[in-house]
Amino acid sequence: MAKSFDKSGTKFWKSLKDYYDDPEILKKKANEFNDGVTDDFDPGKLNGISRRKFIALLTASAAFTATSCTDYRDKGEIVPYNKRPEEILPGKPNYYASTCKGCELECGILIKTREGRPIKVDGNPEHPVSQGKICAKGQASILNLYDPDRLTEPVKGSMATTWKKADSEIIKLLKSAVDENGEIAIVSKIINSPSTLKAIEEFKTAYPTAKVYFYEYFGDDFKRKAWEKCYGTSALPSVKLNEADVILSLESDFLGREGNYIENARLYAERKDIMKGTDFNKLYVVEGGMSLTGMNADVRIRMKPEYQTEFLLSLINELVAGNHVPGAYRTGEILNTVGGFTLSGFAQKYSVDEKKLTELVKDLVDGKGKSIILAGNTMPEEVHVLSNLLNEMLGNTALYDYSSVHLKNTAPSSNEEMKQLVEKMSNGSVKVLIHFDSNPVYHLPKDLNYEENARKVPAVITLSEAPNETVSVSTYTLPLNNPLESWGDSIVRSNVITLQQPVIAPLFNTREKEAVLLTWASGDPEKYNFDIYHKFVQNNFKNGIYTKNKFAVDFDTFWYSALHDGFVEVNGEQSPPNFNISAVTGISPSVKEGISVHLQPNYYLGDGKFSNNGWLQEIPHPVTKVAWDNFAAMSLATAEKLGVTFNDVVKVSVNGSEVELPVMMQPGMADDLIVVEGGYGRKNSGEVAQDVGFNINTLIVTATASPFVLQAANVSKTGKTYKLVSTQEHNFLVDPSLREFHKIRKIIFEGTLEEYEKDPKFLKEEEKVLKGITREHEYPGLKWGMAIDLNKCISCGICVASCNVENNIPVVGKDQVEVGREMQWMRIDRYYSGEPEDPQVSNQPMLCQHCDNAPCENVCPVNATNHSPDGINQMVYNRCVGTRYCSNNCPYKVRRFNFFDFRDHFADAYYQNDITALAHNPEVTVRSRGVMEKCTFCIQRIMEAREDAIREGRELKGTDVQTACQQACPSNAIIFGDINDPDSEVSKYRNHDIGYHVLEELYVKPNITYMAKLRNTRSEDV
Amino acid sequence: MNNKLLDYALRVRLPITLFVIALAFTVTFYVSRAERDGIGYQPDQPIKYSHKLHAGDLQIDCQYCHTGVTKGRHALVPSVNICMNCHTIARKDKPEIIKLTEYYKSGKLLPWKRVHKVPDYVYFNHSVHVNYGIKCETCHGDPRKMEKIEQVKNFNMTGCLNCHRNPEKQLPYLADVKKGPENCFACHR
Repeated sequence: MAKSFDKSGTKFWKSLKDYYDDPEILKKKANEFNDGVTDDFDPGKLNGISRRKFIALLTASAAFTATSCTDYRDKGEIVPYNKRPEEILPGKPNYYASTCKGCELECGILIKTREGRPIKVDGNPEHPVSQGKICAKGQASILNLYDPDRLTEPVKGSMATTWKKADSEIIKLLKSAVDENGEIAIVSKIINSPSTLKAIEEFKTAYPTAKVYFYEYFGDDFKRKAWEKCYGTSALPSVKLNEADVILSLESDFLGREGNYIENARLYAERKDIMKGTDFNKLYVVEGGMSLTGMNADVRIRMKPEYQTEFLLSLINELVAGNHVPGAYRTGEILNTVGGFTLSGFAQKYSVDEKKLTELVKDLVDGKGKSIILAGNTMPEEVHVLSNLLNEMLGNTALYDYSSVHLKNTAPSSNEEMKQLVEKMSNGSVKVLIHFDSNPVYHLPKDLNYEENARKVPAVITLSEAPNETVSVSTYTLPLNNPLESWGDSIVRSNVITLQQPVIAPLFNTREKEAVLLTWASGDPEKYNFDIYHKFVQNNFKNGIYTKNKFAVDFDTFWYSALHDGFVEVNGEQSPPNFNISAVTGISPSVKEGISVHLQPNYYLGDGKFSNNGWLQEIPHPVTKVAWDNFAAMSLATAEKLGVTFNDVVKVSVNGSEVELPVMMQPGMADDLIVVEGGYGRKNSGEVAQDVGFNINTLIVTATASPFVLQAANVSKTGKTYKLVSTQEHNFLVDPSLREFHKIRKIIFEGTLEEYEKDPKFLKEEEKVLKGITREHEYPGLKWGMAIDLNKCISCGICVASCNVENNIPVVGKDQVEVGREMQWMRIDRYYSGEPEDPQVSNQPMLCQHCDNAPCENVCPVNATNHSPDGINQMVYNRCVGTRYCSNNCPYKVRRFNFFDFRDHFADAYYQNDITALAHNPEVTVRSRGVMEKCTFCIQRIMEAREDAIREGRELKGTDVQTACQQACPSNAIIFGDINDPDSEVSKYRNHDIGYHVLEELYVKPNITYMAKLRNTRSEDV
Repeated sequence: MNNKLLDYALRVRLPITLFVIALAFTVTFYVSRAERDGIGYQPDQPIKYSHKLHAGDLQIDCQYCHTGVTKGRHALVPSVNICMNCHTIARKDKPEIIKLTEYYKSGKLLPWKRVHKVPDYVYFNHSVHVNYGIKCETCHGDPRKMEKIEQVKNFNMTGCLNCHRNPEKQLPYLADVKKGPENCFACHR
């Protein structure tokens, strides 16, 4: 593929409607804004409560005016601490290291607090695994703490009660259950905290009839089981992805949602770093749907997920037959299993591009010992076994790192155990059912009939932070602390033990879940005190890690330094186990005709825990850019076959259960396949999550080999429609009058590594001298600029989440996203190129370019946007009168207008309450209705760095500042600094051969440099 | 005809014009009084604290109490425990000190009346100014002479820019002083 913006004629498109020149899209492109964006404000459309609120406000403001007239000089009060805690300096942040409990990865985090209230969560830079990065969920988790929908009081039935009363009643229930020899069932998600497990043990000692059931939602159980079979251990080694020349992903979204994807992204991007040379890795992705990893693939092979077994058998046979593997693997067992499968036969049978397969085999053989095959978590056990075999045969196990092993302290209970539990619930032998921070009614497979049977248990106790589906079947609902209010610890990697510490006192009348168990275990409700679990964790640390590892310091020093760092490093080296060849015996593919359904977890909502988080609901899906919904993604051909199109609702029925879903036509998908994501369709879950999307958990049943790939589904058109909102058609950068304009207009530059190696300047041949019509402005001294490396960017959207939290970006709701009023300062533009059946994807984070000749500045009638001497395009909210001329004149479409006071507007002032307001960053203005806003290059961070420089009496340097997006980027694709300093990293990017500016020809002189994407494909590849 | 016109001009036009001028003058005068900018504001404080006594006569350094002034945004009104550093012993029989001790012992918060204030869309930072060597008096007048603290300078944008634009005039005591930033993001974000 040649330079994609000119001669080759590659056409970039943002969506299918765009590709087919749908009249609707042409109109959208012709208009500067989306339909409805600039609709007049209609007070009649406001609902009754808003009107009442308006009158209330009117009265209040009249009252205020009256008071201010009496003493207009009054400036209020300054109330200092009575006794100021030594470590708190009002106006200065404090940082505490802790552990994120958002998902089972349990990353090390650093929490920023201001005056004792947490306002931002970032990765702990010293943590050996996280290295300063966390995912979007972790970034936005701050909103879960300040969620007004949280449970605030212990509840019995529907009446509020007190902890003491609830505790004493429950202890009585537990004791009588033990006396009757009835089971006390505890249902929990898998637990990685040794102290929590110990607390459960203590509870079990006190109540011997207690039994614990663990479950997980979209876990890596199949992978672990395959390792158990192949290696006799379920501990997975970490993979040195940065040493892999070739990565083959089999439905494995290792950059987006599988394994420690944050760590993976960092290691992967290390080998996409043009500054370190052209030693790029090559990513093959074989998948059915279009995943985040698939978008980043150098070579992508689309194939239904159930063909993976046959694909692997054929691939292994190809390698065995070609004598590419050691003799040990050409034995009878393997030959018997793989014999009869050939790649060319496979390619023919499933119409897969054979050229790509040949290339793959060549690369795997050439890259022996330096390639890695990763199988996806949703794949059945046999796929994992075969990919393990493949890694063994090719010597790729050299990339396994046994010094940092992925541990799992609890294994999920088997389907049989779960069935027994439900059976016992049904026949009355379970006397007390405790939901230990879990939501089985929503999560567990439908054929277990969990909800129905839970109602038969005499006493159901649910411990939960927020309302959920399980609460509705409970006798007692006990509210839990948010992780930011709790103590804890965790071991997920053999070499690191992390500690969790509270950074704020509980906001509500809540307790730590372990503290509740320990109180019950003591048999006396009076035994509870707020410190009970803190002491327990400390003791557990003392008797466990401290004693075992023989640290040379006394315990207090050890404990406080561990708390300070947030983790303790230990030697976690494990000896590499041997591969058991017989594990592969008897594997044969089972493929059924018809449409398959592939269930996947959502990128941002996790298991539904984050469904009530507006920030996460509103980050557009990395591939489809749909916000606030899940959908049935299918290829164009499949949609055509079913006679459906965008927003049509289809009924998917499989294994006797069914769900209705709206259709999203997704380019690049395998045919006869529907991909659906979970975490949506919550009930009884708080205002935000309530009925957003569709609950697909009803499709999960215990019976199948992999509950996530459901074959022979029955899909039919319902005739209904449902509006999905996608941001992909907002903010067009291309002009409609010229169909080929975006090639000339320099938005996306792309090429191949081969071209770059031949001629590093291959993108720069047509130098044009551009001239402005205005006087050139000089920028002596420091000038801020950013570089975004599109080779490293994986389009995960974590930058967007981090920006939202740092800059107080409001949540606007689905109705506003639909009319293009989303407020995120950053967006990731996604362009397809090539044919819709099998396109290539290009991603581009887009934010204010801080142009030197900014077009927005010239048109502002009140000079509310102008330039600072250090090269920042400033936006002054107080001056803005809301003409929106600037946004109209912005070629990048990065300006955002407050059409409402969104904090007030969203779901009738959901956002406006005392609690949620605490999440705001006090260093950034909370914008109100009628003003324009946009990226400020995190001016608050620049000013903070400047303040420090002045205090220390030195010059401010470009490296002193990290923007929120840069800090959060897991692949380190964003570089920020001083572009006037020739030695700075950012100016090296700016002057690099593949560095370019978007829409350079407009001569607006942007200060954001993009590094052109270089695909690692050979010219004969595609 | 002529008479009629003159009559109209004198009887209608003139009084209206004069009234408008007088009204404009009065309103402008009223609104632009220094007092409207807060100058001369001297509220009663919950405890009759004297800057003259502490900072003037006893010559206690400003930063003994206003501990944040070189470290961050806020100069910090001292927390009660700082007062008690001395007043656990000094003058503990005086009525105002007894009041103070009560606050300290009961842990109640001491609601000082605010005297100086910039609007909340201004991100003013004390440390930046003080670390450049700018004296407290430049903005706050001389508290060493104030029995009861009072605003003496104006705290609006003109006040800030006066100094940012002509620092050599306002800060004669600082040799080779540079101009302060005048761009919007310097104070607003």
